[in-house]
Amino acid sequence: MKFPLGKTKVLLTFLFVILAVNFLAAQALRPGSGDIRPNGHVLDNPTETMEAKPSGGAVVQGNGINYHGGPVLHGNVPIYVIWYGNWTNGPKASDSQTTVNLIDAFLGGLGGSALENVNTTYGDNTANVSGLLHLQSQIFDTGSQGTSLTNTRLTNLISSHLANGSLPTDNTGVYLVLTSSNISERGFCTQFCGFHTAQTINGKDIKWAFVGNVDKCPSGCEIQTTSPNGDSGADGMANTLSHEIEEAISDPDLNAWFDSNGQENGDKCNFNFGATQTASNGSKFNQTFGGHNWMLQQNWRNSGGGACAQHL
Amino acid sequence: MCLRGFLCFSILLSFVVAAPAQEPVKPALQPKIVTATRQVTLFSGLEKQLLTGIQKKDQAALKTLLADDFEIWMPNSDAVAMEDWLPVVLGKFSLKSFRISQMSVRDFGDTAIVKFMRSQKADFQGKDESGEFFVVDVWKKSGDSWQLSDRYVSKVSSIVPVPRPSGKE
Repeated sequence: MKFPLGKTKVLLTFLFVILAVNFLAAQALRPGSGDIRPNGHVLDNPTETMEAKPSGGAVVQGNGINYHGGPVLHGNVPIYVIWYGNWTNGPKASDSQTTVNLIDAFLGGLGGSALENVNTTYGDNTANVSGLLHLQSQIFDTGSQGTSLTNTRLTNLISSHLANGSLPTDNTGVYLVLTSSNISERGFCTQFCGFHTAQTINGKDIKWAFVGNVDKCPSGCEIQTTSPNGDSGADGMANTLSHEIEEAISDPDLNAWFDSNGQENGDKCNFNFGATQTASNGSKFNQTFGGHNWMLQQNWRNSGGGACAQHL
Repeated sequence: MCLRGFLCFSILLSFVVAAPAQEPVKPALQPKIVTATRQVTLFSGLEKQLLTGIQKKDQAALKTLLADDFEIWMPNSDAVAMEDWLPVVLGKFSLKSFRISQMSVRDFGDTAIVKFMRSQKADFQGKDESGEFFVVDVWKKSGDSWQLSDRYVSKVSSIVPVPRPSGKE
């Protein structure tokens, strides 16, 4: 049997196309080979990481953390909270209205605080972070997505509340999903105490963070047994929340501020508290605002060479 | 005949290449930046100390971090005891660079199970030992410190992931 030369060419071209398509498919599936960096950071063009030029004092480099060209959140940032699970009388004592009230007080006072002022050392080519934020609105969801949350279910949770109008769709704010101790989320307590991310929901770039009730894993996510407000869950969550909020504002789309190890400002000072005082109940604290004492990790200061700082 | 053989070889090759390409390694990850737990922070530090000890061929540092009954388990191999492993890593094994990621820790009080991915550039007796490895370590509390008791390690890929950009390139 003889293959005519024309048919051979077609066959070889066909084989080449199959091989090329499969090669490309394999590259897309292989972890770490795409635009998503191992730590989750995303760059629009990995070969063109920005050496940002100072612009109106908004972008300052050389302090141990680098600018990658993405936006920060400006102005008085609205915070939206979804209390998910049983925040009335859950398995842990801190699954309670007391915790809700404490976190509300925390979010009400964090904006403009000395700690949040450290975040004003970050900016983009438009302006710096203001250091201001406010609790815009909050809702309660007792379990529309079940008790075992995945990333997909978390997305569905936010998406459903934006779609039904119980929360506005606001790409200038940060949405917080706070879960009670009866809710599980893969990786919570073994890998992380919280996380933040951004994705398109309802057609807008929505920035959101997850923080669970850290009473579920005191040794992993809490600082002390006796806490400043006598509610170890709320006090531990406040610490993780300060971390996530600062990062969600200075690196909202995961393409603005992080260092050569992929660490954002909060990561660089994780569980680093600096100088502390002792409260009357024997607990340690290092911040006072919103009518309460708090034990909050420091934030990386993007000035003066860079350092973990409680204030500027 | 020669052309037909070439075509048959090409078709066979396309199937061989296509098969692994179709295997979905894992679903795409939603990018997110996590706040590590205290244990992840602690054991990341210890694992880095261990790898730095290997890099610097620091026997004293390694012996501090390893339990006396330390063993490494790998696929298709017997367990390797510390007395057999140390001469290798302190000898002709050369660890040029490494990176740890995706760590999670289950803390059981005096025992901790630590899982992570390790990517490395290394060679052993001229053979490239670079790649990405899935590691499960069992650490035991020894007084106030921790010692590595057991390691289970599998090579996932010979490809070292691209280092993340720092913005200073």
